[in-house]
Amino acid sequence: MTMLDAFEVECFEEVGQDVYKQITETVLSDHNLTAVISKLRIFIDPRIPIFVAVGTIRDAGARIRVSDIGSVQVQGDNTVISIRDETYLAQFLTRLYDIFGHDHVDQPDRFTVIISEVEIPQDFEQIEIVNRADTVLRDLIYAMTVIAPEGFKVRRESYGKRQFFYAASENTLPEHVVEDMVSGQFALIGEEMA
Amino acid sequence: MILVPITYTGGVYRHDEVIDYIEDLGGYIVQKHEMAQEMVLQAFIPKEDIGRFTAFTKPLAGEVTESPLVGCEIAVVIPSLEIHHLPHSACDIAEYLRTVGAKTNMVGLARGFGKRISQLNDEERDVINEHDLAIYVLGNFETCIEEKFNGLRRGVNVPIILTGAPPHEALKRITDPPAAGYVGNLGRFMHRTRTEADIGRLDAIVEETARVLNAIRDEIAHDPLSVSPARLKEVIEDGIPEIREVYSPTPITVQLTGLRIKLPFDRYRDVIKSLPVEEDVTIGDTAWISPSRMRDYILVQIKPFSETHIVV
Repeated sequence: MTMLDAFEVECFEEVGQDVYKQITETVLSDHNLTAVISKLRIFIDPRIPIFVAVGTIRDAGARIRVSDIGSVQVQGDNTVISIRDETYLAQFLTRLYDIFGHDHVDQPDRFTVIISEVEIPQDFEQIEIVNRADTVLRDLIYAMTVIAPEGFKVRRESYGKRQFFYAASENTLPEHVVEDMVSGQFALIGEEMA
Repeated sequence: MILVPITYTGGVYRHDEVIDYIEDLGGYIVQKHEMAQEMVLQAFIPKEDIGRFTAFTKPLAGEVTESPLVGCEIAVVIPSLEIHHLPHSACDIAEYLRTVGAKTNMVGLARGFGKRISQLNDEERDVINEHDLAIYVLGNFETCIEEKFNGLRRGVNVPIILTGAPPHEALKRITDPPAAGYVGNLGRFMHRTRTEADIGRLDAIVEETARVLNAIRDEIAHDPLSVSPARLKEVIEDGIPEIREVYSPTPITVQLTGLRIKLPFDRYRDVIKSLPVEEDVTIGDTAWISPSRMRDYILVQIKPFSETHIVV
């Protein structure tokens, strides 16, 4: 978790605090989110009970282009794409089907995609397949759901351009209580709630 | 004759002789796993014959270990089995206990999560009560465990081992009335148990489980059972050939004081009841036969000597 500028878990129970710190680290690295978050602060009070997570993200606008997924080689009538990174392969294939049609796109094995009998656009390697910024905040909120204690089903979540918060409890808490808590947590990481 | 639970690990070569030898000693096979070239037997053998049995298996390169968890059925109870909270620590606990010979069942409660909202329904309570022992795998906060544990144990009359992230002493302090055992430093975590520290915690559960089970066995010894569960298992296997067609890993699960038979209750109750254990003594004379809350299985609970005045 060295990539985060600030990371803190606060809870009056020391054991619970340490375990939740560990859980957060595990979940964020499992979801590939450590590089995205800049600051993160989690506050848990099992007496109320409430779980609040507030944070800011770095610029996550990493655009994934064809050249990031694999290398393109033209071999006669065919274009062979050797896949380097499979992470966005599903979206990549869907995009290829849209552009060239199912008849012209074939995937003979896991790491090879062949586009046959069709002309490839000039700027093919620069076509944007995925923009991580579209999904990263959703992924982040999902990760918070995973971190939050079991049974905290009453949730409020919000994400803007670079801030997010997630509050959860098993009770329905008055709006102003949650808002005060969330803005208090934002203040502790030196941010103003948007 | 005192029977002790053991695990025998060896090759398939001449394993039939090992089985014959256990039976000749007056022991019983509880479970037999055959995996390719390897064979794992969980059995009960007379205490005084362990040395003899170990000597017999030595030329076959077999290994005999005492495993106190053999011959019992344990419920691993967890407040929820929610998909986004996977992997659950209870999965690793259940699996680890199996490696040392216990038969474990996971009981994921329908509404066990939360503090105020946690509940235990009658089916869950009855299923837990059909086991020899329940291990409650609770979470990370003392405040929550204190409040919810009494709700989750309501009506459960089998011994309970409580686990959670607070240390052993803290768990003990917040539990009233006390549980049968406690294992601290083990609550909800989101990784698989791989490190040495994690395995150490699992070992602590095994140790605590063995301690509690031995205490239960000592208690049973004060008023012994009319027949040994392992012997009853053999009687049923000989008397009802259909049991061989049940594809469950343990068609007959041996418990400390009974058996769970994975056959339909309505069709087999009378057959089991009338099976002779010995001349003039049937299973019906020595045990209560009732429907299990788990599927349509049969639950056999052996009566103690004080009730039947028979020991066979």
